[in-house]
Amino acid sequence: MNLGDPPIYTIRLSGELEIGRKNEIREALQVSEDSGAVLLDLGEVTYADSIALTELLRFCVGAQRDGLPVALVIRTPQFARLVEYAGLASAFKIFNDRAAAVEYLAECLRR
Amino acid sequence: MVPRVHAPLIFTLVLLLLLIVSLVVGGRLLQTIVTTSFQNAEGIRGSRMLAAHVINEQLDEETGIRGYAAVHQAILLEPYYEGRSSFPSSVSRLRRALQERHQTQALLTLDDAVYVNRRWEEHVAAPSRSTKPGNSYLALHGKWLIDRFRIDMVRIDTLLAQEEARGDARAEAAILWIGIFAAAAVVIVVLATVLFSIQQYSLGLRLEGERVAREAEKRIADTLQEAFLQRVFPTLAAVSFSATYLPATEEAKVGGDWYDALQLSANRVLLAIGDVTGHGIEAAIAMNRARQLLIGSALLDPDPRRMLERVNRQLVQEDGTLITAIAGVIDTSTYEFAYATAGHPPPVLYEPDGRARLLEVGGMPLGLAAGTVYRTQRLQTVAGAMIVLYTDGLIEHSRDIAAGEAELLAAVDAVATQPQADAAAAIRDRIFGSREIADDVAILTIRFADARSGGARAGQVDDSTFTVGIEAGKLSAPGPSAFWRIA
Repeated sequence: MNLGDPPIYTIRLSGELEIGRKNEIREALQVSEDSGAVLLDLGEVTYADSIALTELLRFCVGAQRDGLPVALVIRTPQFARLVEYAGLASAFKIFNDRAAAVEYLAECLRR
Repeated sequence: MVPRVHAPLIFTLVLLLLLIVSLVVGGRLLQTIVTTSFQNAEGIRGSRMLAAHVINEQLDEETGIRGYAAVHQAILLEPYYEGRSSFPSSVSRLRRALQERHQTQALLTLDDAVYVNRRWEEHVAAPSRSTKPGNSYLALHGKWLIDRFRIDMVRIDTLLAQEEARGDARAEAAILWIGIFAAAAVVIVVLATVLFSIQQYSLGLRLEGERVAREAEKRIADTLQEAFLQRVFPTLAAVSFSATYLPATEEAKVGGDWYDALQLSANRVLLAIGDVTGHGIEAAIAMNRARQLLIGSALLDPDPRRMLERVNRQLVQEDGTLITAIAGVIDTSTYEFAYATAGHPPPVLYEPDGRARLLEVGGMPLGLAAGTVYRTQRLQTVAGAMIVLYTDGLIEHSRDIAAGEAELLAAVDAVATQPQADAAAAIRDRIFGSREIADDVAILTIRFADARSGGARAGQVDDSTFTVGIEAGKLSAPGPSAFWRIA
């Protein structure tokens, strides 16, 4: 889903992310060519195993390497803890509110 | 695995079902053909007998006429009258029979025979009964007509015999085809059975091969893991170590976790724990590579942040295997603990005057991005403090991280207050008991000697004594190279 111009590409995943959903996660983690920024909405994710976390990390690092601003929405405390362990917070902007994440990305795109 | 067994089984069952249906239908068909053929043959035989009757009746008539013509005695006409009376009904029965059989040719021949009979009656029989005996013209003409009649009837009989032969041939052909079909069915069943058996046999061989390969991989991974795990820890009076490694119960999940405690100088010890993403031999090998890189890096410059950054750069260049790790250094003389984390769950710190707590984390896993920056956290701990490093299986076994963390902190609180020798095993037992382990778990504990205990006080260790402390439980005689093996 693309919002705004240049577009913010939104990816939404929910539930427990684990090895059994690896293909689904990989398919979801694709960015369209014309995207200007990436919003990874993980607000409803409650758990991720190391395989799923690896996919998320590789995706975020790849998007950042391609010059795309990345923002994550994380709301459940359990998943927030896992993300903290994974060190995502040290490299990416994390919000617990979707609107704030969109605003941050829009600001990045204006700059 | 399941579909590989089921597909041929279903195919064979369907084939067998089709064959059974075909054989039943074939059997019914055979029965019908044989019955029809038999009824047909019966009908033809009846028709031929009728034809024979008709001939006999004509011959009876002729016998009567010839006898009478020779001697003119009325009694000799009896056969003639007998034949004459039953001849029309026999002819009409034969005609009906031929009509039923659609014997057009035979019907025409029968018409001719009836016409010949009428001419014989008009031109031979009637005149013979009224003229004087010895009329040679009548005898000659009669013989000619009777011959023609007989030829007609023989022709009818031949036509019927031909039809019978054709019916028999059809029945024989049908029986032959059904026989061929049955034989083919048997051949197909036998072939299907043989193919199925071969397929099952090769499947069995393959499954056995895969099982053997899996077992071999598990054994190799176990052996590698076993070989890589540190059994001998630095023996220092001021600090003691314990560690445990639990392989996953599920064989495919073995490999990838490690821990290290390596003395860098008289008072400084490198601590490391890590977890390679993935399992099996590859993970075990990647783990050993990362471990060697980390130790090499620590020898170069024992700053945890720079250790991780160097290892990360190397891993990104190499193959991008993702590894979570903690690199730390303790100073036994100052109780300082410096560490940096890379995507790894937080260390636990217990201090005698408080409760166990989780330390800060930060930094992404090693091998992900070349420019990843790590941060060294420095903590001033105290005598009697215990640091616990572990891998994620210890707190993620229930998928509820908060519950896992609480369980771990409670276990550390309980174990740290006891003078247990093998603290790592005690923590493991408190958390898992006899539960199955889904993922590998490694635990490394570092306990600073209690200032009140009789052990060497921190700060008093000198270079000449750092290898003689005996730790982790049952004391053995101290000596320059006496190590306690944990198992």
